Amino acid sequence: MLEVPTYRRSRLSGELPFRILTLGSVLFSASVVVALVLVIMQKSQILWPVEAPLTFLTSSGWFGATDPSGVITAAFGAWPMIWGTLVTSLIGIAVAAPIGIFAAIYLVELAPKRIAALLTFLVEIVAAIPSVVVGLWALGELSPRLRDSIEWWIASSLGQFIPWLSEDPQQPSDTSVFRAGIVLAIMITPMVAAVSREVIRSVPQSLREGLVGMGATKWETIRLVILPTAKVGLFGAVLLAFGRAIGETIAVRLVIGMNITAVPTTLFQSGSSIAAQIAGAYGEASPIEKGALAGLGLSLFLLTMSLSLTVRLLMWRSANKMVARA
Amino acid sequence: MSQALSNRPGLDFSLTPHDIKRRRVNQLALRIIQIAAIIAIVPLIAIVFVIASKGLPHLNLSFLVNGPLERPTGIVNAIQGSLVMTFVAIVAAAPVGIAGGIYLNEYASRNVARVGELLIDVMLGIPSILAGLFIYFAIVPILGHSGWAGASALTVLMIPVVMRTTQEVLRLVPAGLREASLALGVPQWKTTVFVTCRTAISGIMTGVVLAISRGLGETAPLLLTSQSSNDTAINLGQPMNAMTVVIYQNAGSSDPQVVATAWTTALVLFALALILNVAVRFKTVNNRIF
Amino acid sequence: MESKTTSSSARAITNPSSGAVMNNDRKSVIAMQLTDVEAMYGSFRAVNKVSLEIQARSVTSFIGPSGCGKTTLLRTLNRMHETLPGATVKGSIEVNGVNLYGASIDPVRVRRSIGMVFQKPNPFPAMSIAQNVASGLRLSGMKANKQVAEIVEESLRKSALWDEVKDKLNEPGISLSGGQQQRLCIARAIAVEPEIVLMDEPCSALDPLATLKIEELISELKTRYTIVIVTHNMQQAARVSDTTAFFNMGADRGGFLVETGPTTKIFTNPTNKLTEDYIAGRFG
Repeated sequence: MLEVPTYRRSRLSGELPFRILTLGSVLFSASVVVALVLVIMQKSQILWPVEAPLTFLTSSGWFGATDPSGVITAAFGAWPMIWGTLVTSLIGIAVAAPIGIFAAIYLVELAPKRIAALLTFLVEIVAAIPSVVVGLWALGELSPRLRDSIEWWIASSLGQFIPWLSEDPQQPSDTSVFRAGIVLAIMITPMVAAVSREVIRSVPQSLREGLVGMGATKWETIRLVILPTAKVGLFGAVLLAFGRAIGETIAVRLVIGMNITAVPTTLFQSGSSIAAQIAGAYGEASPIEKGALAGLGLSLFLLTMSLSLTVRLLMWRSANKMVARA
Repeated sequence: MSQALSNRPGLDFSLTPHDIKRRRVNQLALRIIQIAAIIAIVPLIAIVFVIASKGLPHLNLSFLVNGPLERPTGIVNAIQGSLVMTFVAIVAAAPVGIAGGIYLNEYASRNVARVGELLIDVMLGIPSILAGLFIYFAIVPILGHSGWAGASALTVLMIPVVMRTTQEVLRLVPAGLREASLALGVPQWKTTVFVTCRTAISGIMTGVVLAISRGLGETAPLLLTSQSSNDTAINLGQPMNAMTVVIYQNAGSSDPQVVATAWTTALVLFALALILNVAVRFKTVNNRIF
Repeated sequence: MESKTTSSSARAITNPSSGAVMNNDRKSVIAMQLTDVEAMYGSFRAVNKVSLEIQARSVTSFIGPSGCGKTTLLRTLNRMHETLPGATVKGSIEVNGVNLYGASIDPVRVRRSIGMVFQKPNPFPAMSIAQNVASGLRLSGMKANKQVAEIVEESLRKSALWDEVKDKLNEPGISLSGGQQQRLCIARAIAVEPEIVLMDEPCSALDPLATLKIEELISELKTRYTIVIVTHNMQQAARVSDTTAFFNMGADRGGFLVETGPTTKIFTNPTNKLTEDYIAGRFG
């Protein structure tokens, strides 16, 4: 006779706690993000009755005080910081995007295997450099060098007709917006290159062969097939790197100069950025000033969040396109 | 029959002037691309050399074991602080990140998974200064400027790194493995833990190491939370020093000795980050992420 | 100038270098002459010495079991094989008296005169249908104008695709069905009027109806182009080609040419026993 084993009650007892645990982790993370936004929003509340958000965002100058009778005056202007954040990041991405994408093309399409392996290894090493170390180097080594070479060169040539590229020849500044942009470029280039590399690698080999089979040169293959096909992914890579540049605090702070009361008239003068200002001013801030800092933090969060959302939506859309074709 | 092409290739295989022009354009373009690749890497390689040349002269044992108030000066409290706060942070962040990654990949419906993807994107994109600001507003009033506050800020930054990496490696585990286990009557949660995760364990560990790497390299959030101190005793309830903070505070000094300390600290920090990153790479290459 | 191979004056001769059996006809025009061609991946010899002739304005098919080097050999004909890292070619391939592998010959130039259609249709996703067909022309420097448009239309007509796409020339190339995409790739290849068109298992990714259409197309195209087609489908070779070359895998896992000759002869009365066994389905 066959011995039929009796079933134990299936051990569903472990399943529910596990699901709760894992779901709980997701919910916890979500609530951290939500809490972050709410807390910062709440801390900025103190400012809005005294200064309208629009004024805050568009004016310059950084002053606020509470007089003995409790009356608060606030004239915090976030505009120089917003301007600084955007301009430095734009300079950074304008330099890093073409260089990073070309470097990725080189790695995928042109480099012989050994060199590609070596370069990839080097990129690993270089990615381990903490941003504060890049800032240290920029402060000591890069900044004076850039000031005395490139900035001087541009100012004395293009700067003669373009006011925002000029500088005072007697007193070139120790810190500048331009240099902060260059430091950001150096920092985010590996990121652009790494993500672009993945995007370019995912272009199917059959497309390359199709063009080569028609007698196209290597550059023509890159120009006519690889770049157009990878366009969306590359744009996403650039946006991601832009988001990183916007949030960078320390390297920028060391090099930009903390001129928080006005937008500089040329790129070669000191400026400031949102992140740098928050990192600098929180210490001795009065409650009203903390409110202003929270307002700054809020605008920074809005900037980075819209970038993250845009990238993810782009990726979803292009994934949909691929599926539709198949 | 249409007109023949003005430049029908024919079979003579000689190069038309247009062909030669294309060849030249090709060579020029490829040369530019090569130069771009070099420009991309050169500044950072230069930094590595500078770190070594400026940091090595002052690197010795006493630098690593002395406190900042002793003579000769040392960064032992900064090293301790960095390691302790990062350790506390990863102890909190890793389970949350791994569990979250498991849920999003194994249990979530397609829509929930999409929302989760978005959530991790946003969380990854949070600038570190804002994590610091958040903890400064929320935790510091309760716990004061302390190691706990610093570790909390780091936790916020580490969770998405672990979660994303976990989700991605779990996605790579073939469906067949899960099905085989379920077909044997193993409950789903055990399948997930003992089969799927075990297969992906190497990748999950990679995610943890990457998060640790991020934690060690952060400066801004610590400035707002754990700040700094010269105390060499490890006390999480008090402000704690960290290597990144030391570098930052010393960087702008006019005293060359102080700047030298910054460079040597940078060397120690970089070496640590390098060991972590390379170890991850080795492991991945040898175990092929599974 | 055009002449098809006729078998009436066929004589069987044994090629001294490869030992392959060749059926010779003095009346045909030879488009390509392969002499002792070998193809290597690093040190692995994928194709052992092959010598054969490709007749002009006809269809030659390479048949044989998987892995016997047919595709590798095909790719040496337009110097695509060497684009893979470590891949090399020995021997000579002469077209119009010129050795394609001569020192002064630019491979890019070779590929313009010898077109290729691939196993999996690969229209360029970033280009419209018209742009796809015109891509070779644009590469040669023709500006977008009426002449290009005319050539695009003519190529699409020759590929039996015009009627199906004439109203949607600006749609992306990948919006077509598999069979249509492959005909698009053929139109693209012939738009530049190559003398020789190579086809690497062009129907293997297609359904039977699309396959039939493409086979009909090949029969029409051979009046104007020399076609060399690799196929793992024997019946297709029998239907479509004038000359057939049968390859097999040797003990060293490299391919070698067993026999070549007019298709009817290969399929009804092959000289080599291996050929006969393969045709009869005893292996492969």
